Amino acid sequence: MGGVDSEPPSKRRKLKQSSMAETLADDSIGSKRIKKVEFVRLIAESLHSFGYSNTLSNLEKESGIAVSSGLVNEFIKLVLDGNWDESLNSLRKLSVLDESVVKLASFVILEQKFLELLNADRFIDALRTLRTEISCLSIDQTRVRELSSLLLCSRGNVTKPKPKQEVIIDLQRLFPPDVMIPQGRLVQLVEQALDSQQDSCSFHNSVCVDSLFSDHNCGRSQIPSETLQILQEHQDEVWFVQFSHNGKFLASCSKDKSAIIWEVSLDGRLVVKHRLLGHKEPVSCVSWSPNDDWILTCGVEEVVRCWDVQSGECVRIYDKTDLGMVSCNWSPDGQRVFTGFNDKSIVMWDLDGNEMESWKGEKTLRISDLQVTGDGKFIISICKENMILIFDRGLAKERLIKEDYNIVSFSLSGDKKFLLVSLVNQEIHLWSLDGDVRLVAKYKGHKCSRFVVRACFGGVDQAFVASGSEDSRVYVWHRETGELIKTLGGHSGAVNCTSWNPVNPHMVASASDDRTIRIWGLKGLNSNHSCMCRT
Amino acid sequence: MGRLFLVTLEGKSYSCKHCKTHLALCDDVVSKSFHCRYGKAYLFSKVANVTVGVKEDRLMMTGLHTVADIFCVKCGSIVGWTYETAHEEDQKYKEGKSVLERYKVSGPDGSNYWVRNETHIISGGEEDQV
Repeated sequence: MGGVDSEPPSKRRKLKQSSMAETLADDSIGSKRIKKVEFVRLIAESLHSFGYSNTLSNLEKESGIAVSSGLVNEFIKLVLDGNWDESLNSLRKLSVLDESVVKLASFVILEQKFLELLNADRFIDALRTLRTEISCLSIDQTRVRELSSLLLCSRGNVTKPKPKQEVIIDLQRLFPPDVMIPQGRLVQLVEQALDSQQDSCSFHNSVCVDSLFSDHNCGRSQIPSETLQILQEHQDEVWFVQFSHNGKFLASCSKDKSAIIWEVSLDGRLVVKHRLLGHKEPVSCVSWSPNDDWILTCGVEEVVRCWDVQSGECVRIYDKTDLGMVSCNWSPDGQRVFTGFNDKSIVMWDLDGNEMESWKGEKTLRISDLQVTGDGKFIISICKENMILIFDRGLAKERLIKEDYNIVSFSLSGDKKFLLVSLVNQEIHLWSLDGDVRLVAKYKGHKCSRFVVRACFGGVDQAFVASGSEDSRVYVWHRETGELIKTLGGHSGAVNCTSWNPVNPHMVASASDDRTIRIWGLKGLNSNHSCMCRT
Repeated sequence: MGRLFLVTLEGKSYSCKHCKTHLALCDDVVSKSFHCRYGKAYLFSKVANVTVGVKEDRLMMTGLHTVADIFCVKCGSIVGWTYETAHEEDQKYKEGKSVLERYKVSGPDGSNYWVRNETHIISGGEEDQV
C-alpha cells in the first residue's frame, strides 16, 4: 500500500494556497510554463500605467512579489523630473546592472543634460559636462564630436532635448527587461495574440474589434453568399463589372454594345443611373478614373469612349483611323488615358484627346488587359500568349512574367503590389510585383478553358480572391491559404467577371452570360455596413 | 457564350472553315501525308483555339492509339484529333501532336479542299497514316 499521504486533497490544496505567498512553490503557470513572477509583474505594470496605485500595493503585498524595486522606481522618477545628477547617482546604486549598461545609460542621461544646458544657453556648464562627464565614458566618440560641434553652431531641432518619456523608453531598451519592464508589454502581448487569431481565421471579413473574452471566430457567414439582387437590364451577355473606387457605383458592360452605370443606394440596392449607348461593337471593359468622375469604355477592336459619370454624357472619343482599340485604362493621377490597339501598340492620350506618346512593337495582344501603376511609370499588359510585360516607360526597361500556359486575363490588387493572373489551364496564379517578380500562390477549382474569365481581389484587407467560372458559379478563395472557401451558385450561364465592393466587404457583383448581374451579400442581412463578429 | 478567349496566330495559318478562327501555323506542319475518312489530313506539332474531347482508344492503320477529337473553340465543329498516347514504339513521335483534317480547315491563302463524294458526314475521320 504505497499511499503516502492520507490527507484529503482539498485540505492539501488549501495549505498550498496559503503558503503560496511566501514560498511560491508552484512558480510556473499554463502549459507553456510561464513564470508566475513575470506574469504578476506584467499585471502590476499595467495597473501602474492605469494609475491604480492602491491595487498595485495590495498586489505587491498579497503576491509577495516586488513588482519593481524601489531603486528603479526612484531612478525613473528622477529622470522624469529632469534631475540628471541625482538620477546618475541612483543609477550607480542599481547593482543589478553591469558596467556596460551603466555606461550606456549614463551616456543617454548626460546627453540630455548637455542638450538642456545648451538650450538654456549655459555654455560653460555644457562644455564642462561634455569634457568631464561625457567624454570620460569613452562611448560613441562620433556622437561626442557631434555634440561638441553643436556647441559652436546650434542647429534648430538637433539641439532640443528629447521629451522625458522618450528618454525613459531609450533607457528601457538598455536595461535588461526584468529590471525595468517595457511599458505596455501586457497590451503588446494581447495584441499579438489577436493578430495571430485573425491571421488564422480564413473567413475573416469584418472590421469590428474583437472582444477579448473569446477567440476570434468569424465563421462562413462573413463571406457574401446569398443573392440579394438580380440586375436584368442588359440585352445580351454581360462581360465585365467593376465597382467604383468609392464603392458608390457599379459599372457593367455587355455584348449588347452598351454599358450601364448603377448607383448603390443607402439600403444596398442598386438602381440604374445611366445607360451609356454609342458603341457599335460589344463593349469589353470599363475603367473608372481614380476620382470616379469619369469612366472609360472600350468597344472590341473599335474606339474608347470617355463618359462623365454624373451626367452620363460621352465627353470624348479616343480613336485612331484604321486601328481598333482593345483595352483602356487611366494613369494613377487621372490625367492620362492609356489604350491598347490591335496592332500590338500602346498609346497614351491626354484628357483632350491628343495623342501624347506611343509604344510600338509587341506590347499587347488582341485580348489583353491594361494596367498602369507606379505613378504612371509602369504599364502592364499581356505581350505574348504566355507572358505579361511590365514596361517601365521612363527607362524603356521591361520585366516579364512567364507562364506555362496561355494567359487569359489579369487583375491588379488595390495596393498595386500583386497581380492575379488567370490561365487557360484553369489555374489562377498570384504574383508579387514588389522588388523581384515571383509567384506567390495558386488557386484552383474553377473552370476556365474557352472564355475570358476574370478574377479579382476583395474583402477586408483584400484577403480573398474571387473569380468567375464557366460552370456558372462564382468561386471564392482565401488569399493566404489558397483554400477554396465558397462557390456561389445561381447564375444560369458562365460567370465572366466578378467585382468586390472596395468599401463594403460584404458586397460582391458577378456578371454572367445569362445577361444578368447578381449582387451577393450576407445571409439574412441587407448588404449595408453592419458587421457581425460571431454567429 | 462569353467573350471567347481566342489566340491570334501570326503568319500563314490554317483557320476553321466555318468561323475563320486561327487553328495552326503553316510552319508547324510535321507531315502532310495523313488520311482521314474524308481525304487528306496534316499532322501539326501545335494547334490553337481548340477544345479537346473525350479520350478513347482507336485502332488505326498504324496501330492502337489513345486519341481525342478536337473541336473549334468558336463554332464547335470537329476539326481533327490529337494523339494522347501511341501504343507502338515507332508511333511514339505522334504523342502530343494533333491532326487537322484538310477538309475542315481553310488554307493560308483561304483555299478549301473539297471531298470527292459529299456523303453523310457526322464525325471526323480516323484512319491515320504516316
